[in-house]
Amino acid sequence: MFRVLRPFEYIEAESVDDAVELLARYGADARVIAGGTDLVISMKKRELAPKYLIAIGHLPELSFLELDPDGALRVGPLSTHAVVGRSPLVKEHFEMLATASNEVGTPQVRNMGTIGGNVCKAGPSQDTPPVLIALEAILTLKGPRGARTVPMGEFCTGPFCTILSPDEVLTEIRIPPLPEGSAGCYKWCTKITSVDETLAGAGVVLTLNADGTCRDVRIGLGSVAPTAIRARQAEDMLRGTKLDPEEVAAAAETAFTECMPRSRAGYRRHMVRVMVKDAVNELKDKITGERTMGDAGEGAR
Amino acid sequence: MKTLAKFNVNGEPYELIIEPNLLLIEVLRDELGLTGTKHSCGVGNCGACTVLVDGEPVLACLSLAMAVRDKEVTTIEGLSDGPHLHPLQEAFIDRGAIQCGYCTPGMILTAKALLDRNPEPTERDVREALAGNICRCTGYVKIVEAVLAAAEAMQKGAAR
Amino acid sequence: MNEEFSVVGKRIRQPDGPAKATGEAKFVGDLRMPGMLIAKVLRSPHPHARVVRVDSAKAMALPGVAAVITPDDLGDWNGFDRGMKDLPLVAGGYRIPPEEHVVNRTARHYGDAVAAVAAVNEHIAEEALSLLEVEYEVLPFVLNAEEALGSGAPQVSETAPGNIGKHLSYPYPEGDVDKALAEADLVVEGVFQTTKQDHCTQETAACLAYVDAAGRLNVWSQCQLPHLARRELANIFNLPVKKVKIMTPFVGGSFGQRGSVCAEPVAAALALKTNKPVRLVFSREDNFLGLESRTGFDKINVRMGFMKDGTLTAIKTYMLGHLGGYMGCGPMSSVIGMTLSMGHYRCPNRYGDSDMVMTNIPVSGAMRGFGNDAMMFCIEQLVDEASEKLGIDPITIRRKNTKEPGETAAMGLMLESSYLEECMLSGAEKFGWNELRSRPKKDEGRIKRGYGMATMSHCTGAAPLYLEHSNAMVKVNEDGSVDLTVYPAPVGTHIWGALSQICAEELGIRAEDVNIVTGDTDVTLFEYGSDASRSTYAIGGATLRAARQAKEQLLAHAAAMLEVPVEDLLARNGRVFLKSDPDKGLSVGEVCYDAIYSFGGEATNFSGKQSFEPTWNSPTFGAYFAEVEVDTETGRVRVPRFVTAIDCGKAINPMAVEGQLEGGLQQGLGYALTENFVVNETTGKVETANYDSYKVPGTLDMPHSEVIIVDRPDPKGPFGAKGVGEPGMVGIPPAIANAIYDAIGVRVRGLPMTPERILAALAEKGEAKGETQ
Repeated sequence: MFRVLRPFEYIEAESVDDAVELLARYGADARVIAGGTDLVISMKKRELAPKYLIAIGHLPELSFLELDPDGALRVGPLSTHAVVGRSPLVKEHFEMLATASNEVGTPQVRNMGTIGGNVCKAGPSQDTPPVLIALEAILTLKGPRGARTVPMGEFCTGPFCTILSPDEVLTEIRIPPLPEGSAGCYKWCTKITSVDETLAGAGVVLTLNADGTCRDVRIGLGSVAPTAIRARQAEDMLRGTKLDPEEVAAAAETAFTECMPRSRAGYRRHMVRVMVKDAVNELKDKITGERTMGDAGEGAR
Repeated sequence: MKTLAKFNVNGEPYELIIEPNLLLIEVLRDELGLTGTKHSCGVGNCGACTVLVDGEPVLACLSLAMAVRDKEVTTIEGLSDGPHLHPLQEAFIDRGAIQCGYCTPGMILTAKALLDRNPEPTERDVREALAGNICRCTGYVKIVEAVLAAAEAMQKGAAR
Repeated sequence: MNEEFSVVGKRIRQPDGPAKATGEAKFVGDLRMPGMLIAKVLRSPHPHARVVRVDSAKAMALPGVAAVITPDDLGDWNGFDRGMKDLPLVAGGYRIPPEEHVVNRTARHYGDAVAAVAAVNEHIAEEALSLLEVEYEVLPFVLNAEEALGSGAPQVSETAPGNIGKHLSYPYPEGDVDKALAEADLVVEGVFQTTKQDHCTQETAACLAYVDAAGRLNVWSQCQLPHLARRELANIFNLPVKKVKIMTPFVGGSFGQRGSVCAEPVAAALALKTNKPVRLVFSREDNFLGLESRTGFDKINVRMGFMKDGTLTAIKTYMLGHLGGYMGCGPMSSVIGMTLSMGHYRCPNRYGDSDMVMTNIPVSGAMRGFGNDAMMFCIEQLVDEASEKLGIDPITIRRKNTKEPGETAAMGLMLESSYLEECMLSGAEKFGWNELRSRPKKDEGRIKRGYGMATMSHCTGAAPLYLEHSNAMVKVNEDGSVDLTVYPAPVGTHIWGALSQICAEELGIRAEDVNIVTGDTDVTLFEYGSDASRSTYAIGGATLRAARQAKEQLLAHAAAMLEVPVEDLLARNGRVFLKSDPDKGLSVGEVCYDAIYSFGGEATNFSGKQSFEPTWNSPTFGAYFAEVEVDTETGRVRVPRFVTAIDCGKAINPMAVEGQLEGGLQQGLGYALTENFVVNETTGKVETANYDSYKVPGTLDMPHSEVIIVDRPDPKGPFGAKGVGEPGMVGIPPAIANAIYDAIGVRVRGLPMTPERILAALAEKGEAKGETQ
């Protein structure tokens, strides 16, 4: 790996439209740069060598964090992980996103890296994608032909591959409000030390009926497949059930089989099984107001 | 293409003519001669290159110099005024929190940002704030003690 | 409060503290010189390959490139052993063949240096590196020691037939170990494996070399053994020693890695070729690939025999270590490991063997503990197993076999002092050992707690195996301050402070009145250097004796000035005064001034110069107590609490001693649980060449640590001090392993003790919850 970067031109976009136009003009030779942590590392490794960097990190139209009257959270892609993780709004309404954001990298990286950059990088071992998938976030992309929306679950097509066109910019992440009777949490385990890449992550949203049965469950799994995925079969098994220990364990076992991890496959699958079980049990208790099993989102150690 | 870039480092304005592909750490160390900010891992894991940008700890080895032109950059050199050291620096020396000294600038700056935001941190707060700063010499014990001692000294100083 | 000493024993601030806290302290990478070039090293992408051709035309054509060195450019430069053990440093005729070159014709591991460039700045140097076109003849390679020993295995070096770099035996065998094992009431045995651990100094390797107008090669180096590096560079480049000068700025940690030459050969070569200053700073990947890391042992067989009353009667060991592509400091890991560990307990029948095998991976060498850590991981687990099977408490069985002063210590010399028993007892008390271990076993659920302990002893210096020659010079200035000329490695161990305290205590001045003069082979007398936890002991010993010499002159002159017998005088706190009438005296400065500015024909500047070569070796002892929590569903091990009790003689500066133990805990924890140097078994590529994949403990991984310094003086050390640089990490892995056993009843015999290993061990025991495969 190299310590310095190959030459490039640095252009500060004046607006999102300007950034889009610049991207269209320079095509494959250009990249947007926001926080830059992932991009600079890739450039140091000579995996990427863009000739033009379009700086968007200063654009106010991409920096916002707002709760709509309907309870949806609109997150500007330039929101740093530190801002999302500390935000009282996020902690109150979508705590699992705060938990995941607080797990990205180190404190310094969280001050630099943005949620938009994270999502667009689409690395297989990230914390926010499984949470955003479970929250069924909607992304807004803006290009020369206008804006379009894409569900988070359809955004990533493979490791480091998204449907974002080279001349498009992510302009908003919208998280719809959770139904009544819902709670969510993010469970993760790191590869080795406390501050480390995520080995496996599970973002789970549970919705209970008034009688305590499972009305809906969404299980987003990260770092255990080429992209973040939903454990749909496990979800199907749980819907309508009373979430008894055997039912939860069986669903966790199914989630185990739905993963497609590459390295340390056995242990990653095992951790998915443990975390899905822990998450569902914890959320069930939380929603029904029983004894709490520790803080929501606490990492499995 | 070289460009004229204005920086504000440790309260001083600088005008440099630089290529845009320079990292902040290169500008600080090689252009400005501020060698307190250190190279170590280069991939964002160790915190040795930590500087403050608008008061927040960031990694100079992953920041483009161009991106901080309109911001206030603080390096370790900006913390002391001649022989007058910042309470964190005094505490680090007093408590034996410095062994080889290579992680020290990054460690102190990260701690400073913590105390600026949270003047009465718990030990856990300190460990979490410093979780991105690796030290291979001290085992962090005296570093954490020094940060807590500095917090106390700064509170006493502020109270007067 | 202990008023025996006025300076020794105090928690003083380090003299280099302000420079480091302000960023003013300069490390090699911070130094610059006019016209300086930046160097970079090209590293082999193959684990074993011949460099057929390097085409440097494109690189040389790039504006700003000053020079390229390829294997064709070595001329009369000699091969070398980076560990410098081909110099007369090791007793018994031990030699390492000098097979490495500035850049290598045959790459022997992924990342071996095959070419180097120097250019006007880093950007051009990196570009030049990528313009070098290398034709490789890829050769078959072998990555692990067992395979390397097999017939038909690719040969790594012509000097190591069958890939055996060294076959080394335990140097102090005694008795008949097989007979004793046969007659023992209980034999405990195991096969263990330990990992290759990287030092991960926060500062990477760096060197700035230049040839001055007088034709001298001046080298800013990080080497722990600067006078030896001087000889080594002179040898490589066919220069007389007088034509080489080594200087040392501040160094960002070492832990044994810089006991070898690292960036120096390439930097010096480029400086000689270009006649310009050349600075080479390794990237973090360069560090992982191009430098030595702790020797890993693919296999350690240990068999121990006990009588039913707990008496240890036999230890037999075999170590299979992998050296990597060059031998370096690696081979001695087994000898030191066996010597220190097998000599730790009283045991009349001891035998050990090792094969140190060459493989096509980055080089193995010396790291804090130097093999003692690997061996104690095995031995202390087996002692625990014996204690359980014999129904004897783990501390009791250890106390039973602990050597007493007067017995022969591990290195074959007489044991002068030992407070290991006090370490065990005070550590146990602080830890709450008895209560915790006798707690009623109840079903704790998923998270199980365990408590374990281990002991160890480590050498202070390496007499009689290594050259222990140190020198110190003391000069007393007219204001009563002292210039102390010594050359320990300034790698952050607080040695300058300790030497100041030793000097000041002897001379009767304050520590802050001692100025350390160091960092230059022109100015300092011969110094072996800093390693083997020797600096306080050996360099401190030289310092003490030199200070004593100066003090004799000081007191004699003061006696003449005061017209009193010299025996009546005492020097303390900067004054020389009558023991019987402390008010009657002079300041040290006044006496010195009088001696310097004297017209009587006898003007003198008080000074002392002492060569010192300790021929004894006072081991440091430690007892280590670990509390662990094992999550039986995830296999994760947490260590919430750790207590270390150390007998390192008199603590010259308790704060510095604590720092060594607290720092050692971080490295020991990493070695035990998190650090793993991984080489891809198919490609030979190093997969953990930076901190994103090689994980050292951070602030959130560390236990709550408590340190007890037993603080009893050793008869031989300066003011009773012994070494403490290494012991901090030796006892940690076995204490944790024994605690894991206490928690979940499984023995983990490989390092690091990963979650997968824990779950596999539980599965074997029939207790794992769910399959992991």
